[in-house]
Amino acid sequence: MKGWLVLISLLAGALLLSLMIGQVLMTPAMLWTGLWSGTGPGALTLRVLRGPSTLTAAGAGAVLGASGTVFQILLRNPLAAPDVMGFMSGAGLAVVAGVAFGVLLPLPLLAAAGGLLAALVVTLLSVRPNGAQSTFTLILVGIGVSFFAAAASSFLVTRMPPQEAADAQRWLVGSLSARSWQHAAQVWGIGSLLFLVLAVQVRAMALLELGDDLAAGLGVRINRARTGLICTGVLLAAAGVAVAGPVPFVALMAGPLGMRIAGVTQPGARLTAAAITGALVTVLADVVSRSLVPGLQLPVGVMTGLMGAPYLLWLLMKEAEAGEL
Amino acid sequence: MTENEVSDAGLSTEALTLAYRDRVVIRDLSLTVPDRRMTSILGPNGCGKSTLLKAMARLIAPAGGHVRLGGEDIGAIDTRALARRLAILPQSPKAPEGITVADLVRRGRTPWRGFLSPWTEQDANVCRQALEAVGLGELADRSIDELSGGQRQRAWIALVLAQDTSTLLLDEPTTWLDLTHQLEVLSLLQSRNRAHGTTVVCVLHDLNLAARYSDHLILLGPSGLVAVGPPGEVVTVENLDAAFGLKALVVPDPVTGCPMVVPH
Repeated sequence: MKGWLVLISLLAGALLLSLMIGQVLMTPAMLWTGLWSGTGPGALTLRVLRGPSTLTAAGAGAVLGASGTVFQILLRNPLAAPDVMGFMSGAGLAVVAGVAFGVLLPLPLLAAAGGLLAALVVTLLSVRPNGAQSTFTLILVGIGVSFFAAAASSFLVTRMPPQEAADAQRWLVGSLSARSWQHAAQVWGIGSLLFLVLAVQVRAMALLELGDDLAAGLGVRINRARTGLICTGVLLAAAGVAVAGPVPFVALMAGPLGMRIAGVTQPGARLTAAAITGALVTVLADVVSRSLVPGLQLPVGVMTGLMGAPYLLWLLMKEAEAGEL
Repeated sequence: MTENEVSDAGLSTEALTLAYRDRVVIRDLSLTVPDRRMTSILGPNGCGKSTLLKAMARLIAPAGGHVRLGGEDIGAIDTRALARRLAILPQSPKAPEGITVADLVRRGRTPWRGFLSPWTEQDANVCRQALEAVGLGELADRSIDELSGGQRQRAWIALVLAQDTSTLLLDEPTTWLDLTHQLEVLSLLQSRNRAHGTTVVCVLHDLNLAARYSDHLILLGPSGLVAVGPPGEVVTVENLDAAFGLKALVVPDPVTGCPMVVPH
């Protein structure tokens, strides 16, 4: 219980910081006045300048965090996450390709299609001749697919007109600049729906976590349950990518971090903690990327990359020591 | 009870053939696991003991023949209905990080719970009894990671006990345990069998322990079934030679009178 309070207070603090900090500092009092009077600089900040992008950051972080935890539980490996395994790069590639070739589909649909396609490719490529599939092969193949999709996106960007290319390049790193209420509503709407879909699957998840044989013995239809969870996980990641670009490492970090802060072990609680932590990490990264260099707004993905890369290295070293690599 | 009723209630195989791709592991095996008894599957490494056990739990689809539970083809039983009748504990399961004993055991109730139905008094009672049966009542709130090897194995057994099935399959439940804990695990399975009439089937490595705790043995060799029946009939000098290529004496166990293997 104490862990949850810590987590929620941290998120509340981060949201407040995100609304306060920017080109002009807003005190909580100014924001408060703006919220109730609806006029003045506080109201402008809330309604236009920082409100929508803060909410979008929180929503994107939440769906990414939950997505990472789905794969970490399913594959029973802390390295499993949609960013590491190429699903987010796949979603990003689909969005860039859609823009480059003028495909008039909503971004979430493009991202979902790209993410699902990447997941399919990773799954098919990691089937071994004897029909078995190891978690580690899946992750390695995913890293390969991730690089391929990122390279293909960069290639497409170079063929765009200069202004468009600059925007696309920025988006591909993961960016929350100029987010509107529409983005916020989109990620929260799709995210809430996917959370309900996930809630239905939590029991199957708790059994799959014990290994396929035990889960099957306990009445889970393994292939069906696994497919359902993979699709939900990929769609969660795609919902994040559609509003914020393929922000790296949030999905990887949020689960283990949230689990430790909240002190939980059951899948449902882990998913909730991961969503809150994902929101926290993304909002904080956004605050720092906005204020680190005065007058320059760095893409949020640069910050999550700076925070996440050392974590990934530490994780790899830990796995290597445990003999898992 | 007539012969016919016994095979109807229990687990049996009929011309069962099991294969991984082209490699046939078990060919044309027909046998009956006696209902409400303790049975052990024995044999050298690679003879298909675990494969047979997995097929009995429908984790592997047969390449030919059938596994039957209560006369029905096991492949035709609804997944959840099967999970209420038969439980399997695979070899060396891995617990999720940080999970407590009680949380693990609770998951054994899943087949009995409706889609949105809450946790019931009945569920809580079955879990408590399962924990007490394995002697972990006091350690229910501990994390699995903190337990010793023997305690951990008992926690996993509590999970399948909480599943509350009439048939319980276990793949090498004593592997990696020291002798005291091996005896503990087998006694615990035996008392479950005696008290609840649970049909228990184990894959075991230790011939003497198997002979001591089982009512019935299935002995497999490199080329299929060697012998099946009560320990006194299965554990013989000839059968051991046929299954393991082992030259040994078989003498009565001084404690129980069961057959005991003494290698030359």
